[in-house]
Amino acid sequence: MLSRVAESMFWMSRYIERAENTARFLDVNFHLLLDLNQITQVDNRRYWEALIMATSDEARYNKLYDRYTADTVTDFLVFNRNNPNSILSCINLARENARSIIESISSEMWEQINDLHHFLLRATPQQVKGDPYNFYKVIKTGSQTFQGITDCTMSRSEAWNFVQAGKYVERADNTSRILDVKYHMLRPRSGERYESVDIIQWMAVLKSCSALEAFRKVHSAKIEPDIILHFLMLDREFPRSLYFSIVALEQALWRISGSSRRNYTNNADRLIGKMEAEMAYTTLGDIHERDLHRFLEDVQFNLARVGDQIHQIYFAYHVPISSDDELEPALPFTGLSGGRAQWSQAQQQQQQ
Amino acid sequence: MSQTFSRYEIDSSRFYDEVFDENNQPRLHYKQLVERFSHLNHAELRARRQTTNVFFLNQGITFTVYGAEEGIERIFPFDLLPRIVPDSEWQQIEKGLEQRITALNLFLQDIYHDQKILKDKVVPTELILSSKNFRREFVGVNPPLGVYIHVTGTDIIRDRDGKYMVLEDNLRSPSGVSYMLQNRQAMKRAFPTMFDHYKVRPIEEYPQELLKVLQEISPVKQREPNVAVLTPGIYNSAYFEHSFLARQMGIELTEGRDLVVNDNKVYTRTTKGLQRVDVIYRRVDDDFLDPLVFRPDSMLGVAGVVNAYRMGNVALANAIGTGVADDKVIYSFVPKIIKYYLDQEPIIENVPTYLASDPTDCKYILENLDKLVVKAANESGGYGMLIGPHATVEEREEFAAKVLANPRNYIAQPTISLSRHPSYINDTDLTGCHIDLRPYILYGKKITIVPGGLTRVALKKGSLVVNSSQGGGSKDTWVLYDN
Repeated sequence: MLSRVAESMFWMSRYIERAENTARFLDVNFHLLLDLNQITQVDNRRYWEALIMATSDEARYNKLYDRYTADTVTDFLVFNRNNPNSILSCINLARENARSIIESISSEMWEQINDLHHFLLRATPQQVKGDPYNFYKVIKTGSQTFQGITDCTMSRSEAWNFVQAGKYVERADNTSRILDVKYHMLRPRSGERYESVDIIQWMAVLKSCSALEAFRKVHSAKIEPDIILHFLMLDREFPRSLYFSIVALEQALWRISGSSRRNYTNNADRLIGKMEAEMAYTTLGDIHERDLHRFLEDVQFNLARVGDQIHQIYFAYHVPISSDDELEPALPFTGLSGGRAQWSQAQQQQQQ
Repeated sequence: MSQTFSRYEIDSSRFYDEVFDENNQPRLHYKQLVERFSHLNHAELRARRQTTNVFFLNQGITFTVYGAEEGIERIFPFDLLPRIVPDSEWQQIEKGLEQRITALNLFLQDIYHDQKILKDKVVPTELILSSKNFRREFVGVNPPLGVYIHVTGTDIIRDRDGKYMVLEDNLRSPSGVSYMLQNRQAMKRAFPTMFDHYKVRPIEEYPQELLKVLQEISPVKQREPNVAVLTPGIYNSAYFEHSFLARQMGIELTEGRDLVVNDNKVYTRTTKGLQRVDVIYRRVDDDFLDPLVFRPDSMLGVAGVVNAYRMGNVALANAIGTGVADDKVIYSFVPKIIKYYLDQEPIIENVPTYLASDPTDCKYILENLDKLVVKAANESGGYGMLIGPHATVEEREEFAAKVLANPRNYIAQPTISLSRHPSYINDTDLTGCHIDLRPYILYGKKITIVPGGLTRVALKKGSLVVNSSQGGGSKDTWVLYDN
C-alpha cells in the first residue's frame, strides 16, 4: 500500500485513541473531585495540574493560561485548537487523516468519524460543565464505536494492521502516563498508611483505564496500589494494560513485515520484540527496584523509538537509517498534520 | 395547475422555460413529472429534501469553499426537480460534442506539430504564442493514440429560443462528474418510483468508461496497466471527486509526494518499496505538475514526470498543454477550427464573442460594458468576470481599465438569458432558475459520451452564475431513451 495511506491509517487510529483517553481521564477527574467534595474543592489545583502533567504539555499550557482550574484545564484539553492534543484537535486530525484516505477505509468508518466531528463542532463549554458525564460518554463511545466498526468492516489487510499498530502504541503510551502521574500524587510518604481518600483515588486510576470492573473480577475488593500497578502494567488479559498493548502492537508489526519470534526483519520489530520480552519476564519487584517513574519513562521512550522506526521504515520517503545510534529521541510526526500538507494548502486551492 | 406550480412564474417572453411552453402547458416530456410533483404536499417535499441532504452529508459529498475559516466544507445544494433531455435533443448534443472534440483534438495535434492552421492564418499565431497555457516544451511530443483531451466537460446553455449553444470547453481537468453520479443516487433514494414512469438512460458506467480510456492510453501493453489518480490533496475543492473516482475505478488515489521518478519511470512509494505506474489521471494543473519543468516551487507535482512522459514511459490524462485550446480567446475560433479540419459547419453554435485584442471589438466592448459579460481568458470557476448589466458604474470602470491594460486576456459576450427551470429556492416555492449543462466526453480509442451531465442551477433569484463557488447548485439530469 502507499506509504502515505499507511501513515494516515496509523495516525487516524492514534488520534481517535488519544481523544478517547483524554475524555476518559477528564471524566474520571470530575467524578473523583465530586467524591472528594467534603475534603477538597472541585477547582483544586493539584488534581487539574496532574492532567496536564500526564500529557507532558505543561509548557504549552503555561503559555496559554495562568492558573489550573476545572474550566481552564477542560478548555485546554477539550476545545483549544492551539493544543494539538485537545479532544477537538485530535478528532479533527483523525478526520483529516481519514478524509485523505477516504477511498481506503469503509464508508461506515468515515461516517462514524464524521459524526463525532460534527458533534464536537456543536459542543460548548457550558455543555461540558453542565453535564460532563454525557459529554465524555459521547467521545468515549464514539471512539469505541469507530474501533468496533473498523473491526467489522475492514479486511485484515496491511492497512488494518497499521490501524492496530496506531491504536496500541497510543494506548500503551497513555496508560503509562496516567500511572506515572497518579503514582507521584499518591505515593505514600514514609511511615504513612493509605487512607480512604487514597483508596478513592486509586479507584479513580482504575476507572481512568476503564479497568475497575475487570480488576475486581480478578482481585475482588483489594484496592492496593501494588496490585493495581501490577494489573495495569503486567496483566496479560486486560486490553488496556501496558503488557497487553505492547503484545498487540508487536503482533500488528510482525504481521506487516512477516517477522517472528527471534527472527525480526527490521528495527521496529526488533525494538518492540525487546520491549515485549523484557515486560514478559518483569515482576513488580523488579519495577520497584528500578523505580517506577524511571521504568515508565523508559517505556515511553522506547515506544517513541518504535514509532520513529515505523516512520522510517514504512512512511518516510527515503532509505531508512537502521543504525541504532543515529535515532532521534522524540517523535514529532503526526501523520497528515506533519506540516507538509499545510505548506501546500494554498497551491492545492489554486487547482481547478 | 396544482398548488405546487400555482405560484410559479414562467415569463416565456424573456426566458426559455425548460418545463413549460408559451401556453403555460408542460412540454410533452415533462408532463408526467409535473403531474407527479403536483401531487406532493409541502411536508412530503421537505421529507424528500431531507433524505437527499442527509445522503450527501453522510457520504461526505462536499466541496470546499476557500477563505472561510470554519466549516469550509459545504454540500453542493441539490434541487429535487430533475432536468429532462429528450432523446432527439440529446442526439444533437452528442453529435455536436463529438464533432467539437474531434476538431479540438486535431487542433491540439496541429498546434504541437506542424502548426498548419497558423501558417494558413486561420488562427492568429500570436494568440497561440501568447496563450498562458501553450507549452512550447511539448511541441513534437506524441501522446498515445494521438489523443490530447481524454476528459472534457463542455458547458452548454440554451438561449431565449431554446437553442443549445456551447458556452465554454473545459479541457484541462473538468470537475463535477461525481456530482452527476451522486445526484442520480440521491434521486433514486428520494423518488424511487419516479424512474418507473420515465425511461431514463443510465450513467453509472461512467467510471468504467473512464478507466477503459485510461487503460487504452497505457504505454505498457504486455501487462495490466497500473493507473493512478493524482490529486492536489484534501484542501482542493474537488478532492471529494478525486477520491470518489479513484474508489469507483478501484485504483489508487495519489498525491505528488506519493510518486517518484527513477530512471525516467514513475513509481509509487509503498510500504513494500517502489511500484511502477503507467497512466496518471492527473487533476493537477500543468503549472504544478513537475517542479523541474514548470513552477519550481510546486509542492503538488512530481519531479521528473514530464521527462518520463516525453520518453513515453507514462501516459498523462489529459495531456500536457491542452489548456491552449480552452483559452476563452481560442474558443471564439472553434467554428473556424471545425471548418478547417473537418470541413463542416458546427452542429452546436458558439455564443457570439468579441475579442478585446481586436481593435474594433475592443471599442465595441468598452462602449457596451453595461450589456456584455466580460471574462478573463484563463480563469475558471466564475472568477475574473464582469456581468455588465448587474455591475455598478465603478465596477465597469475598473474592468474597462483591466481590459485596456491587457486586451489579450479578455473577451466579451452578450448576456445570454440562460434558459430557466423551476427549482426549489427554499423549501416550498418553485422559482425559475437559470441552468446550464455540462456533459462529460471521454476520448480514448473512440469518443464516448455518457448520456447525462451535470445540470447546474443558479439558486439565487435572478442570478446567472451557476458555479458552485458562487452559490450554485445542481439537479439530476435525465436523458431519455427514444420515446
